[in-house]
Amino acid sequence: MQKPINLPQGALEMLILKAVSLGPLHGYGILLRIQQISGQRLEILQGSFYTAVYRLERNGWMEGEWGESDNNRKAKFYRLTASGKRQLKEETAKWSDMASVVAGILQAKPEEI
Amino acid sequence: MSFLATLRCWWKAITKRSRIDQEVTEEFQFHLDAYAADLVSQGMTSTEAQRKARIDLGRIDVQNEKYRDAIGLRLFDELGADIRYGFRSLFKNPGYAIIAILSLALGIGATTAMFSLIYAVLIHPFPYADSDRIMNPGIMTIEGPPQRWFATFKSQFETLGKAKSVESLLGFRNGGAELTGGSLPEDLDVMYITENADTFLGVPAFLGRGIQPSDARNGGQHVVVLNYRFWKRHFQGDRTVIGRTLQIDNENYTIVGVMPRSFAFNDTLGVSDIYLPMSLQHGSINPPIPASYIPWIKVKANVSLAAADAELDAIVHQFAKENPGHFTKKFRLQLEPIIVPYQRSMGHALTLLLTGVLLLLAIGCANCSILLLARGEARQHELAIRSAIGASRWRIIRQLLVEALVISFSGAVLGVAASYWLAKLPIQLSPSSFPPESVIRINTPILAFSVGLAFLCGIVFGLFPALRLSRPDLIHTMQGKLRRIAPGIGKHKLNLLIAGQIALTLLLLATAGAAIGAFLGLMKMPLGYDPKNVMQVGIMMHWTNPKDWDSVQPREGRAAYIEQIRQKIASLPGVTSVAVSAQSTPPYSGINFPVQVADKPHDADQEVRVHLVSPEFFATLHIQLRRGRIWSQTQNMHGDSVAIVNEAFARQYWAHQDPIGQQLRLPTLKAFGPLMIGSPSSDGWRQVVGMVADSRNDGVNHPAVPAVYVPYTTYMYPFAQFEIRTQGEPLAYLPAVREAVQSVASDQQVSNGVFDLIEGVEHDAQWTHQRLFSILFGFFSSLALLLALAGLFSAVSYSVAQKNAEFGVRMALGASRSHILWVAARVAVRSVLIGISVGLAIDLLIQRLLARWMNNADFSSHSLALATFLLFACSVTACLFPALRAASVHPVEALRYE
Repeated sequence: MQKPINLPQGALEMLILKAVSLGPLHGYGILLRIQQISGQRLEILQGSFYTAVYRLERNGWMEGEWGESDNNRKAKFYRLTASGKRQLKEETAKWSDMASVVAGILQAKPEEI
Repeated sequence: MSFLATLRCWWKAITKRSRIDQEVTEEFQFHLDAYAADLVSQGMTSTEAQRKARIDLGRIDVQNEKYRDAIGLRLFDELGADIRYGFRSLFKNPGYAIIAILSLALGIGATTAMFSLIYAVLIHPFPYADSDRIMNPGIMTIEGPPQRWFATFKSQFETLGKAKSVESLLGFRNGGAELTGGSLPEDLDVMYITENADTFLGVPAFLGRGIQPSDARNGGQHVVVLNYRFWKRHFQGDRTVIGRTLQIDNENYTIVGVMPRSFAFNDTLGVSDIYLPMSLQHGSINPPIPASYIPWIKVKANVSLAAADAELDAIVHQFAKENPGHFTKKFRLQLEPIIVPYQRSMGHALTLLLTGVLLLLAIGCANCSILLLARGEARQHELAIRSAIGASRWRIIRQLLVEALVISFSGAVLGVAASYWLAKLPIQLSPSSFPPESVIRINTPILAFSVGLAFLCGIVFGLFPALRLSRPDLIHTMQGKLRRIAPGIGKHKLNLLIAGQIALTLLLLATAGAAIGAFLGLMKMPLGYDPKNVMQVGIMMHWTNPKDWDSVQPREGRAAYIEQIRQKIASLPGVTSVAVSAQSTPPYSGINFPVQVADKPHDADQEVRVHLVSPEFFATLHIQLRRGRIWSQTQNMHGDSVAIVNEAFARQYWAHQDPIGQQLRLPTLKAFGPLMIGSPSSDGWRQVVGMVADSRNDGVNHPAVPAVYVPYTTYMYPFAQFEIRTQGEPLAYLPAVREAVQSVASDQQVSNGVFDLIEGVEHDAQWTHQRLFSILFGFFSSLALLLALAGLFSAVSYSVAQKNAEFGVRMALGASRSHILWVAARVAVRSVLIGISVGLAIDLLIQRLLARWMNNADFSSHSLALATFLLFACSVTACLFPALRAASVHPVEALRYE
């Protein structure tokens, strides 16, 4: 098994938005989906996870609604809002920009400079 | 937008707190359970799984706090807690809170009320459009009093209207008329106004419409607009009057409008009962008045007053050249904004009052500060404990600030409420001192200013102790209260504040003392006549009606008519005596005329107050005859060659001589015009037959000026006034007097201006003015005194409470009670003494300015000494009370309490 990765600041929010964009999920579901997509390589501190969820909801990027879970329990399902969609798009673009720039710099060889 | 969403989220979290709390818990519980279930499916036992889930996720009971922290409501929650704590600590110490809040409330209330009053009275009292540009043209003579208004011919009025600096012009002229058609004729004050009145004044009618240009058609439409007060009086406020007819001088007029209450047109000539189109004037007045347009001028917005003055001055000088008889020789035209007369009479007094209440506000704020500082000192221990158990510096500062602001806020709320009540006070006390138009509204900017000041004071003086106490010397403070014997830095500020407050209070008290002293002096001053049980009743002869006029136009006929009425009134049971006079009823009596005294150099400027009276005048008003005699009834009808002088006159002209038998002359006392008539040699030499005591003739607050009394038949107006002395309440005799008058001439009405001479004194502008000033200043200064004492008392109380242990030790070591008393009170007493000396010094410095501004004040050292003594005695008492309590504590108890 590969080593778990620690997320940089602000990335958790983006991942949550992404997870929710694929379909409404409850809090635990979001956590599971992120871990599942990452191939269990992301270690998300469950304590700080909800702080991010609450903040996203406060900003109006996600909306919570009470529904029923697979095992017939009441659970709060989150869904991406229109402004959340915009936010995700922006963040994604920003992230890949940054990643490519950083990667470009890190891959630079002495003869290219 | 995320901002709106945030607000929505906060709103929900605050208003539906319990639901949100429950949802957060439920969601968390679900997560916990789902996680545990997964762990179980991975092979853990249920107990193990639940334990791990709880370790990973954290405690469920803090999740709500985490939620509120995450959405950014933490500060809000903490502030709420601070505010709650602030209120709780206020309730724990209600005396302190009440004094601090009341201090601020009174300061804010009084300042706002007074400023609103000044604004309404001096800055914006009139309801007219662009009232700051409406000018009253006056004639300033180089010598002699200014003439507040002058009338123009129609052509002159039109010429004035064409001047470049004039935007528009309003012409008006007052007159008397009779309301006929009722059972008794009634006198009316009529104002004829040019038909542009509606647009010029810009005051919409209360009912119907105002006078409009169309009313000028066909020599004037017979329409009438009613004054609000007349409408209330005569029609009892009936809203259906529009369209009805009003019979004036036996002619029918249609009522087209009622003006609003604030429309008290106008100040130049007095408020009228009804308004008629100017064009009617020429037909209805017989003989017509040639110069019937008194102008009010609205100057153009971009023209300076000086430029308008210069232009109009030239025009009016041209009028003077064409009609030399109408103007004095040397004069200068001066435009005066219509507000100026009020500014002149009330301006200084109101400015002083405003200064006074600003001082009161300062005292209130100082009080609040003293309390905050003193309380801060007393709370060192509490704050040290908070700090020791981990409160951050910012948190402590914030809490102290919030507490100070809670006080400021409560004070501000109360102050706003108080200002509404206080603003009405002066107008209720003295309605006649203010323009009838002014409607007092609370001035929002100044309210904001006072409230802002209250908050600033809360912040600044809440911050002082906060900054100092937020970093307490933990070890020393916690170790025990005994350590805090040395005064802190806050003490110096406290003493400074107390001294300043006492100084300001002394200033207010001294000014109030001067005003009240002057008013008491005014009340005590002998008037020289006895106004009790005397009323004045006037009649106006019917000069518009030729049938009636013929008999009273000649002098003998007029005098006989008046004498006949006088005798009829005198014969009424209960009437003690009746006198006739013209414009000679005190306290403002007589007309100024030049005087020439035999064997003295003649100076055309020497003027004297000429009283036109019948011989009964002196007995009726109880004016003492000092020497000589009073002219006889025959001499009275003759009119010429006799005169009586008052003592002031005799003092001025015959200081060491007997006035009886001296000769004097009133060279310009010569009747003119169609309505007046005089005796053959009214301007000839007169022999002084008697000298009477001085009686007030220049207002109640001025000594009598030199006066000459002559028979009224020497210079007769088409009206006469009767002074009637009765047994008991004079106004009760009015119906009988009316009947007596009508038994002489059935259509002779009694004029409206009937008044009781006592009322004449009490409604005198100067009198009400000074009473108002004394009451208000007395009121404000007693408030100030009360506040200062309360502040002093609480400051000493606090310091005494802190030093309880010290006193215990001192007493245990053998200090006497009186020594303890002195130790407890000395610092405060020293501040009081410093404050009093500073206050005295300032008061003596500004006394001269005050004396000029208050125009009648009693600045004797007497009242100042009284104020100083009062303040000193009260402050020492306020210091001694808590000190006494300290001294009476048993030393064992004081020490054990620690």
